[in-house]
Amino acid sequence: MIQSRRNFLRALPAITAGAALAPAPAIAAAAGEEDGRHRWAMVVDVQKCIGCQACTVSCIMENAVPENSFRTIVSTYEVHEGPRTNTYMLPRLCNHCANPPCIPVCPVGATFQRKDGVVVVDGDRCVGCAYCVQACPYDARFINHATGKADKCTFCAHRVDAGLLPACVETCVGGARIFGDLNDPDSKVRHLVDRNKMKVLKPEMGTQPHVFYLGLDERFQGHVEGAGTLWQPSGHGG
Amino acid sequence: MEDKRRSFLRKAAIGGGLTAFAAGFSATAGRMLDHALGKDKPKQRLNGNSLAPEFTVNPATGALSVNPEQQVSYTMCTGCTTFCSVRVRIDKKTGKVLRVAGNPYSPMSADPPLPFQTPVRESFVALTRHQEKGLAGRSTACGRGNAVLEQMDSPFRVLAPMKRVGPRGSGQWQPIEFDQLVKEIVEGGNLFGEGEVRGLRALRDLHTPIDAQQPELGARVNQVALMASTNEGRLAFVDRFIKQSYGSLNMVGHGAYCGGSYRSGSGAMFGDMKKMPHAKPDLENVEFCIFIGTAPGNAGNPFKRQGTLIAKARSGNKQFSYVVVDPVLTNADSLAAGDRSRWVPIKPGTDGALAMGMIRWIIEQERYDRHYLVQPNLKVAEASGEASWSNATHLVIVQPGHARDGRYLRGSDLGMVFPDEERYKDKDPYVVYDPVAKKPVVHTEARGEAELFFDGEAQAGTDTLKLKSAMSLLREEAFRHSLADYSAACGVPVEIIEGLAREFTSHGKRAAVNAHGGMMSGSGFYNAYAVVMLNTLIGNLNRKGGTLINGGGFKDAGEGPRYNLGSFAGAVKPSGIPIGRNVPYEKTSEFKRKKEGGKAYPAQAPWYPNAPGLASEWLTSAINGYPYTLKALILWSCNPLYGVTGLRAQIEKDLADPKKLPLIVAVDPFINESSALADYIVPDSLLYESWGWANAWGGVAVKMSTARWPVVEPKARKLPDGQAIGMETFFIALAKAMALPGFGPAGLADAEGNPCPLERPEDWYLRGGANIAWLGKTPVPEASDEDIDLSGVARIRPLLEKTLKPEEWRKVAFMLARGGRSQNYKEMFGLRLPPPADAKAHAAPAGAASGKTPQATGAKPLAAAAVAGAAVHAAQEEAPYPSDWATHRFTKPMQLYNENVGTAKSSFTGKRFSGTPSWREPAFADGTPVRKKYPEAEWPLQLVSYKSPLQNSYSIGARSLRGIHPDNPVALHPEDAARLGLHSGDSVYLETPGGRAKATVILRHGVQRGVVAVEHGFGHRELGARAHRIGGKAQPHEAAIGAGINLNDLGLSDPTRSGRNVFVDPVAGATVRQGLPARLVRV
Repeated sequence: MIQSRRNFLRALPAITAGAALAPAPAIAAAAGEEDGRHRWAMVVDVQKCIGCQACTVSCIMENAVPENSFRTIVSTYEVHEGPRTNTYMLPRLCNHCANPPCIPVCPVGATFQRKDGVVVVDGDRCVGCAYCVQACPYDARFINHATGKADKCTFCAHRVDAGLLPACVETCVGGARIFGDLNDPDSKVRHLVDRNKMKVLKPEMGTQPHVFYLGLDERFQGHVEGAGTLWQPSGHGG
Repeated sequence: MEDKRRSFLRKAAIGGGLTAFAAGFSATAGRMLDHALGKDKPKQRLNGNSLAPEFTVNPATGALSVNPEQQVSYTMCTGCTTFCSVRVRIDKKTGKVLRVAGNPYSPMSADPPLPFQTPVRESFVALTRHQEKGLAGRSTACGRGNAVLEQMDSPFRVLAPMKRVGPRGSGQWQPIEFDQLVKEIVEGGNLFGEGEVRGLRALRDLHTPIDAQQPELGARVNQVALMASTNEGRLAFVDRFIKQSYGSLNMVGHGAYCGGSYRSGSGAMFGDMKKMPHAKPDLENVEFCIFIGTAPGNAGNPFKRQGTLIAKARSGNKQFSYVVVDPVLTNADSLAAGDRSRWVPIKPGTDGALAMGMIRWIIEQERYDRHYLVQPNLKVAEASGEASWSNATHLVIVQPGHARDGRYLRGSDLGMVFPDEERYKDKDPYVVYDPVAKKPVVHTEARGEAELFFDGEAQAGTDTLKLKSAMSLLREEAFRHSLADYSAACGVPVEIIEGLAREFTSHGKRAAVNAHGGMMSGSGFYNAYAVVMLNTLIGNLNRKGGTLINGGGFKDAGEGPRYNLGSFAGAVKPSGIPIGRNVPYEKTSEFKRKKEGGKAYPAQAPWYPNAPGLASEWLTSAINGYPYTLKALILWSCNPLYGVTGLRAQIEKDLADPKKLPLIVAVDPFINESSALADYIVPDSLLYESWGWANAWGGVAVKMSTARWPVVEPKARKLPDGQAIGMETFFIALAKAMALPGFGPAGLADAEGNPCPLERPEDWYLRGGANIAWLGKTPVPEASDEDIDLSGVARIRPLLEKTLKPEEWRKVAFMLARGGRSQNYKEMFGLRLPPPADAKAHAAPAGAASGKTPQATGAKPLAAAAVAGAAVHAAQEEAPYPSDWATHRFTKPMQLYNENVGTAKSSFTGKRFSGTPSWREPAFADGTPVRKKYPEAEWPLQLVSYKSPLQNSYSIGARSLRGIHPDNPVALHPEDAARLGLHSGDSVYLETPGGRAKATVILRHGVQRGVVAVEHGFGHRELGARAHRIGGKAQPHEAAIGAGINLNDLGLSDPTRSGRNVFVDPVAGATVRQGLPARLVRV
């Protein structure tokens, strides 16, 4: 823990260095389903999450996420209120926002939103400056130390484009993660979003997330402060 | 609003992963510049280094095309003891396992599972976006199940046989040829330059007694012993080798240091202390569930199934709520579920006080299911609508001094005549008091309800005996303490005990209580028996929404319909006394001798007549030489030195001394804390390389078997004939070298008796598969060519065709392609099955005994006979069972009083054990309370062990798990911490009377006051934590594998016993890891 904090401080100059690189021309349309027919989204039913981290590990395996980095994880809290103490489990991932603050800050135009809503990073262009990492209010991005590029959840676009489901959704033991096309009136996500009061994380940021939380306690919508961590993947506060 | 919010947040201690999400950034930015130069350019422009998809499916049409470079196969995960069926995705070119998810056919992984007949192609489509099928029928792997594939490529794997070249435990090894390995182990010799070591051939003495003065110990062959862990699908093969073929009695699993106390407590309830049946809540239909010492969705078996169902229940529209009673708050609870989920903290090891308090209240308030409990036998119970029954009304002799004091009154006591060998056995009926005829009648003759609370005298034959019904005995025991006393003992307020009992008895049979590994305390057995008694008081067994036994498996090994994998010519029937002493002391020569000397008790060490094989006692027994020493020990995929609480400190030095145990051979894919002390390590197949047929061992109420087959080529060194070295090849080679029966070119036989070879693993497992294929009403279908190709079974098709008969191989392929065989999931309830073979003895059909008996009691049908009789008649016409009865029912009676426990004596004190559930504080073997020996003043805290969803005793090597959860700081309640001046992150010495470890403290409100909670799975000394030298070359090691502490290193020995020993439960003989006296000392 202490070790990684030190790493964090040491890393700052490197980020600044990356920013000096020149911007790039606008990106061409990505391969895959780019005609705008779909709008991919996820609903997370927090009552169903059992905090097993199957999503976290399947994502690591599917997407070659390097050690101590996460495209998704389940934050697990112990909540003490009056006489009661309970466990709260909150899956987190890129929100594939309709108004993603990570995109405009990219000096090289490497990060962009596909027409189906998936926010991606063009590895050919990314210079690893980490501006987008800092701009994301959800801490959903990181620099992949194997590739040197900004990295993040893609909703497993490579799988979705092949007619499959994101890895985390496939293996969600509690069935908490529901993925689909908001533009499809028959999809489960459309049904859930239409029939329930959904919450999103940090709504005040105006990012318009497309990961919707069903049954989310509003006290977990923003930054959650706490003392001590039982599970302490090396990292800084967030 | 702002204030309230802040106070809430400030109080939120974090149970994990608060900051994890951003973690990657900090760890990586320092190296960023190297990579900005493009050295490791991602493989794909937008998808980085993500894997290529295994299939492509047209979402509109469902047309599927597979990626020809990848293979998806259904096989078994052995990442924990649930043994789920999973889908393994493999890179065909390299054989590397890329990712693991769930098998959609398996009830262990999918809810609901696909019908067994579904073609493999359809099963793939069912996982995809096509019609969103992949959401509705998703089949999952858990976090650990996703991660353990890393072990396949671990640098710490043992891939060739090794022999130690330094002292035991020195970590110095020499790889040796397989032939040398077999020759040295069989023939012995001066193997290590330390003097002669006797080999397995010389040790196989089937005739000479270990001790002529104690012939009951058996022959010297029993001094060769094999420790296994779980039945992951290969145990029958190991059993054949060590018991039937080699001839030793001594083979044991890990139950005594897993959930042994719970299983024994349940075994007492179910009337079988050796097989220890247990039932699980029907989470799909239960309305109120209490979990005590088990944490659904957090840990325990079947992990995913319980997690999926609890998630569904707490978020669904059906009535459901649950309570988790535990000293530690885990992920079994969910704040998001609101009042549907509650955590009740309890003092460690006091669950019995809570349960007995609930029992007392339920009896006082008459909230028990009287209709269920008054049924005298199964027939009458069934006829009156009960799906199971109990012996609540059966009468027990309570007459001190009577030869059968503490035994159930039987038909013979009433004058029925049986041959000696049947007297007081299954056919000799029990006796109930007929409230109408006002006299005792044999239970099989009773036609209606029997007296529930009988307490008095009755004429039995020529005697007048004091008798009590089992229910009266339970009431008496429950009333021994007041509710206030029970509350004080367990730390749960009286109103919560009452509230739990009230709620539990407010849902008819749609309530359930469940327990498991959290029962491993010094009072574990009685705590568990008391907890499961609650289920019996509401009569929920075999009922929808109540508790269900599992549906069992299809038997591979045995005298099956295609092959005889059971008996063989020359098979040995091992005999003697198991080294764990799980037999009555009163049958030993020691007892006779001491009795003649005037003082029969205490025995030299405790005996456990009501326990199964006890790994907890094995190794200390061997070192103490009581009842005898061991000459050779084979450790197969087990790790007692890590898992048996307190064992390492007791015997690590002894085991390092070859004089005390001359030969230790480990068969294991890794060097663990136990195999590190071996003389030889033989590699074993790992995970998806391996064969096996395993059953779901709880929580799945349909019949199913999971297949494990090598979906990738085993990595271990190959023999000249192409077989990879593993457990099977090793034992086959040993057997052949010693010319043992049951192995070799004619080691097996088909069902007609024609000889077949047993020379390769597939000779066993494929033929076992053929047996499974032919079980049931009709054999399974044959696999299509497409099934075989798509599932990867094509890779082993030559083996199938070579090993099996032409009519067999496609049927076995059908099952392998689907990862096993299972009964239709919809058949969980209401199906009438043919009665089990041994049902007669227990179903106790009316009048069964009367044909033989002179009817000394003159028992007449009770008043209710006419009504009940009509219903019995209807049942005989094979009417369907009610739709809320389990298809797979347990039909023996629930035991409110267990006479085998109630008549057993402590071999230390000579005092009888209680035959009913009971609250008794943890005590050592001579009855001294633990807290008397180790008072609170010196040891103010208590240790408990708990699990996270991620780590178990052998998963630490998976790097991705460590990335999420690298350590196990010990958790302490903030009030205790304040008293000790400790803060999160402080270093402490955690001390018990058994040891001391340096640990980091974390403060949690989710821990009961007075408790230090230690997560299981850390504190490894091996598995890669230590560098070994192999062939003179230093091997790698990884310090992170050794992170944290292992509670089992701090376990107690029993100060009232002599010699080496670990503290165990007095009845179950199971280890004690909950409630160990402890203290924290600031570093």
